[in-house]
Amino acid sequence: MIRSLAWFCADHYGLYSPARESFTRPTPAAEELLAIVNRPVKYFSRMTRETKAGLCAASLVLRDLAPDGTLRQEVGLLAAGEDGCVPANQTYFHDYVTAGRSMGRGNLFIYTLPTSTLGELAIALALTGPTMYVHADRAPLATLLHQAMQLVADGEAEAILTLWSNAEASVCMLLQRDVPGMASIKLPESGSPLEIARAFYDKVSAEASRE
Amino acid sequence: MSPVIVQSDCVTAYGWGTDALWDGLMSGRTAIRTSRRFADRAFLSNQLAEVPELVVRPGESRAMAMLSRLLSPLVNQLDSATPIILATTVGEIEYVEQSVLDESPELAIRARPQMLLGRLKQWLGLSGPGLVFSSACASSTAALTRAAAMITHNEASSVLVVSCDAISEFVYSGFSTLLSLCESPASPFDASRSGLTLGEAAAYALVTRDDRASNQRDAVSVLGWGNTTDAVHMTAPDRYAGGLQRAIGKALTMAKLTPADVDLIAAHGTATLYSDAMEMVAFRAALAEPRPTFSIKGGIGHTLAPTGLLQTIIAARSLSQGVTPPVVGLSIPDESAIGWAHGVPMKLENADVALATNSGFGGVNTAVLLGKRSGK
Repeated sequence: MIRSLAWFCADHYGLYSPARESFTRPTPAAEELLAIVNRPVKYFSRMTRETKAGLCAASLVLRDLAPDGTLRQEVGLLAAGEDGCVPANQTYFHDYVTAGRSMGRGNLFIYTLPTSTLGELAIALALTGPTMYVHADRAPLATLLHQAMQLVADGEAEAILTLWSNAEASVCMLLQRDVPGMASIKLPESGSPLEIARAFYDKVSAEASRE
Repeated sequence: MSPVIVQSDCVTAYGWGTDALWDGLMSGRTAIRTSRRFADRAFLSNQLAEVPELVVRPGESRAMAMLSRLLSPLVNQLDSATPIILATTVGEIEYVEQSVLDESPELAIRARPQMLLGRLKQWLGLSGPGLVFSSACASSTAALTRAAAMITHNEASSVLVVSCDAISEFVYSGFSTLLSLCESPASPFDASRSGLTLGEAAAYALVTRDDRASNQRDAVSVLGWGNTTDAVHMTAPDRYAGGLQRAIGKALTMAKLTPADVDLIAAHGTATLYSDAMEMVAFRAALAEPRPTFSIKGGIGHTLAPTGLLQTIIAARSLSQGVTPPVVGLSIPDESAIGWAHGVPMKLENADVALATNSGFGGVNTAVLLGKRSGK
């Protein structure tokens, strides 16, 4: 089951969780993002914008598992996104070429894997389950969620965070085994991360206006 | 019933085919050479394990050149619905290099891993699901575990796992920057080891349901696996090896085996000071008693994503031949590896179960247990 979902876009971010108070807010300035994560994070300032967005979204949904900030479950992390790490690769190699093609920058090179962002999130949030990038050529979001569900069902992790991102948005979901009585989230039939974020933004905004 | 690897092959710096890799390792001679490929760059090392006789056509990537020749026996031979998983770290990285050097950012789109996946599917005549899979230097073993899970869940009767990484200026400069490269060929588990050597390779494994598998040479069952993350450091391993220990423990639990059942270890063995030390901490903690442990990286270098599949292939051959290859380049074992890693082939008696392990950037760890088809 999908227990909660958070999104992070250039202009808004938010959380949808049936078990907690959902919200949507304007995205704050870069220097205020760490307040969303709500825990000390080493090297936060050197993280890429995408990594910071993913970390903010992951932090929001993770509070369903660790309301007091202490994670007691083994949580894994699966990511998808059609760019893989191509933009980070371009950044590293451009810097290396500009510097004369003799020495690159380690701080850029370590982000040149599709799982680099996941590594940072795992360290920051103490996620010790499987960490993988999986992108399918058909129905990539459904495949990502299916792989996550399978890992949970097989006992490879107690919960999985899925991170779906592109240049416009990061969408993070918390998946767990079905828990009797606990509400789950249904996703739109299809959509990009931005469309998913918009759909839940609208849902949260509509619920807020009814109240 | 466990999924079975019924068919596999590879290309490495020793040459084309599993026999070339096996014979090369058993010879004890390294395929790592002094290379002039990056001679005009000021890198820390000039050692490299390059695939020989590789014909790269204009506009083609080294990855595709390796894969198209390696996979040619499979073209139109598999059920077209067979799912394929491509495991890679950087894929066709030359397109990124070219996009920067030519100042044509739009070229980089060709480096997206799903582009390579699409070309492979077309080449092989496959129209089923395709997945790109990446988990740093544990990519191919992690992909193997997902293929095994797909078989276990009856989502497919066969899954093709393909893995490849080529060495380019991008990759070589990065590892040089991180001060990871050794000035001489890598010597895993040696007391005087000082870093890794990069190599390039491609490999594939066809995983099927047990009831569809015949007893081909080197066929092995995938008995159990574990994937974990250290959550400690982006590039350095957890010195207490907690993540790898948990991965091994999960694999044993899934396989319903005990540490005593493990007969040999195909270790990651990069030859970096800390990674090898971390692995030995994990093996000692998880398995207690020494058993023949080898690394293939003294022979063919660190091949990044495919390294796990290559270890799996050699572990399978070790089980069928009753002997493990020597750790090429090992002369005086590190104190922690004494009794485990050997510079000579080690004969096995009634060996049925092999453990293959990988670790990588971002703190990823994977452990896979492989069983001889007629074994435990």
